[in-house]
Amino acid sequence: MNIYAVIFYILGVLIVAFTVMAITRRNLMHAIVFLVGSFIATAVLFYLLGAPFLAIMEVVIYAGAIMVLFLFIVMMLEIEPEERDWWAGLRPWLWPLSLMGISLAVIFVYLIFASGSSHTLPMVMASPLAFGRFLFEKYWLGVEIASYLLFVALVGALYLGRGEETGG
Amino acid sequence: MAYVVPFSHVLVLAAILFLLGAVCALARRNLIMILIGVEVMLSAAGLVFIGAAMRWQQLDGQAFVIFIMAVAASEVAIGLALILYSRRRTGTINADRYNLMKG
Amino acid sequence: MTVILFILLLFPLAGGVINAVIGRLLPRRVSEVIACLGVVGAFVMAAIAFGLGGWKSLHLIFFDWIKVGTFSAAFDVYYDPLAAVMILMVTFVSSLIHIYSVAFMREDTDYVRYFCYLNLFVFSMLVIALADSLLFVYLGWEGVGFCSYALIGFWYTNLDYALAGRKAFILTRIGDVTFGIALALFFYFFHSFSLQYINAHATTLSVTMATVFGLLLLWAAMGKSAQLPLTVWLPDAMAGPTPVSALIHAATMVTAGAYLLMRLFPVIHLSHMAMLVIAGTGAITTLYASFAALAQVDIKKVLAYSTISQVGYMILGVGAGDFVGGFFHLLSHSFFKSLLFLGAGCIIQACDEEHNIFKMGNLRRLLPHVYYPFLIGCLSLAAFPMIGGFLSKDRVLEATFIHPAPIYKAFWAIAFLAALLTVVYTFRMFFTAFLDRPDGRTADEIKPIPRLMTVILWPLAILAFCDGLLNLPFGPISNGLAKFLAAVPGARVDLGAPAAVSWGLGLGDAALVLVVLTLTYFVFRRPRPDFWGSLNETLFTAFYLDWLYLNLIARPYERFAAVLWRDVDERGINAGFENTAGGFKVLSSLMGLWTNGKLSTYLLMLLLGLTAMLTVLILSWHW
Repeated sequence: MNIYAVIFYILGVLIVAFTVMAITRRNLMHAIVFLVGSFIATAVLFYLLGAPFLAIMEVVIYAGAIMVLFLFIVMMLEIEPEERDWWAGLRPWLWPLSLMGISLAVIFVYLIFASGSSHTLPMVMASPLAFGRFLFEKYWLGVEIASYLLFVALVGALYLGRGEETGG
Repeated sequence: MAYVVPFSHVLVLAAILFLLGAVCALARRNLIMILIGVEVMLSAAGLVFIGAAMRWQQLDGQAFVIFIMAVAASEVAIGLALILYSRRRTGTINADRYNLMKG
Repeated sequence: MTVILFILLLFPLAGGVINAVIGRLLPRRVSEVIACLGVVGAFVMAAIAFGLGGWKSLHLIFFDWIKVGTFSAAFDVYYDPLAAVMILMVTFVSSLIHIYSVAFMREDTDYVRYFCYLNLFVFSMLVIALADSLLFVYLGWEGVGFCSYALIGFWYTNLDYALAGRKAFILTRIGDVTFGIALALFFYFFHSFSLQYINAHATTLSVTMATVFGLLLLWAAMGKSAQLPLTVWLPDAMAGPTPVSALIHAATMVTAGAYLLMRLFPVIHLSHMAMLVIAGTGAITTLYASFAALAQVDIKKVLAYSTISQVGYMILGVGAGDFVGGFFHLLSHSFFKSLLFLGAGCIIQACDEEHNIFKMGNLRRLLPHVYYPFLIGCLSLAAFPMIGGFLSKDRVLEATFIHPAPIYKAFWAIAFLAALLTVVYTFRMFFTAFLDRPDGRTADEIKPIPRLMTVILWPLAILAFCDGLLNLPFGPISNGLAKFLAAVPGARVDLGAPAAVSWGLGLGDAALVLVVLTLTYFVFRRPRPDFWGSLNETLFTAFYLDWLYLNLIARPYERFAAVLWRDVDERGINAGFENTAGGFKVLSSLMGLWTNGKLSTYLLMLLLGLTAMLTVLILSWHW
């Protein structure tokens, strides 16, 4: 149990806590703020796991771009309030939570009784330079395709989002 | 060389995160919340990849996270545009009101 | 040379394609000219090629077609004297038939389709004649089959004609099966489809394998060349327009089978067994078809059976080990048979689509322009002494006679009897149709036919009359064709028969033909439709072969199919499916309760499945 491990567990607890808070908020605005917290904690975790570049990307893309996009949408639409009584609010959670419980129980049982999976992770950093070199040497085609995907998404979003008055 | 934690612990954390995202997508009726759940799931998948990259000392895992992020970004762009569009068409973003799929 | 042969193949193909694609938009005259040009151009190219190097044996590659590993199939040609003469003949006869068709089809509105198929037909035949790769040959082989189907059933609105086309297609297909098998075996043994290579290395085959190849190829040739037992399609093929019949019989279709055997002669030559079967097939078919031709009343059916009979001689020539004789007969046959068919086309149009020879008569007076060429054709078919048909037939008979194996004497006797019967049926038809008689046609029952149609007959008549010069058995230019073909593997220039045998056979043949011809004149001077009495029915139906096929093969097959359909399919498989489907329907209506259209329900099911999968995966893990 060294310092890295301590940081890992703290971060894990933080991430789970933020996420739980996020997904249970009635108010979308609150949910998004908690989620930003969760993503930032994830970014730190990425750094801890030897991926500094991805950590920055996580902050920029998830916590930054995506969440800002969500915020914009939430502000654009006035959301109808989900007014429910206690039991009606809880009912939809019942099945998913029980399934989640089963899954987690199975995983924990497996981890406790299985022996071969206790391989610990060595502390190694992948420098952004090495990572970029690697990415463009081995996965340049994938990167190109990903850029196409983004482009297509841009066109699609533009098409869907254009106003009715422009002839939709 | 310093060691962090067993690989299995990373997996457990990712599993919890993934399941939380799934529960969010299932239990909430708000389309935006469903989309958020999906984002959380994608992020959890990225976490597994990074852990695996460290476990086998291969950069391929990290490379895939880049792709996951690209997919997540485009998915959000399209998804939110779709939500806007649906809202304009039907006036609601409650998933249960969309029941055209009923057989 | 490569370019010339490539253009040669391109000409008819281009003609066909142009007519198929834009023929409808062109004026009629242009479309006809394109079609004729396609074939005449091919003829010119064939003549040039012949002049430049008809005596050489060349293997020329146009371009690769398929190349996978060691397997390669190229668009290539094997141009040897045999192919040179063959394409010269094919393109020449086809050219005349095309020009004739312009006049013959003058009233048909569907000329574009007609000329398109006609050109493709010639193209396919040229491919068979030239190609080196057997795969390429097969392409032409199937192309010929398809075009014959399309042309025999050309007037497809008449159900009988359409059925005749189908019959031809199916029967030739039955033959083609073994060609496909032979192809596979060739590749297995030689790792090559090249004719040249296979012929050069044929001796590496065991005798058994050579027999197998010989029989497979014979069966393929039987289908294409309408030999027993696959004869029945050819008489029905008369349903097509008459020029098509001429093309099928003379130039393109039925000779393909015999030609294939000649092309692969080094392979089949290895096996005495295969040669024996080939010769037997030829001899028996010859006699069989001669008998059947005796009682036909349709002028085209007489000619059809005569074709089966004459192709029998070609096959017999191959079987007797002298394919030069067979090829010689192929050449003279193609001239006189196209002549006869084109003449018959004139007669039929002049008599207002009348096919029955007993309703003709008096045509010598009424159609003098047809009379003389037709007479030459008949003389040649009947092997009148010293005409082309006589010399070629004589050579085949001689080759059969001097073959060392005793059973060939029997084949010779059969073929000789058939040769005499040929005289009878040919002149029975000729006398009945042309001689003066009181109940014959009168001048006002004759429709005018275009001048062109009769003019076309003359070049063919001259060739049919003179083509014996190609291969005279004596004199300074004796065995010209045989010497020319000497470079082809397996060719025998001189049969090597003692002079006494050779002259005895020839003179005896000639004398008997003359005697029989005289007898025929006295018997059939007047039309005698019921001359054969009780035998008539048997002969007319060609020994009930169609009936036999119908009852022995087609009917039981139909009944079997009906059983499969009603009992196995409907009661067994269908019912099984329906009950299964019913079960699923009930099941799915239960499942339908889930599909309430709510997105969250679907997602929940997704997660449920995921959880189940995870659980199973982990539980099945070996700890």
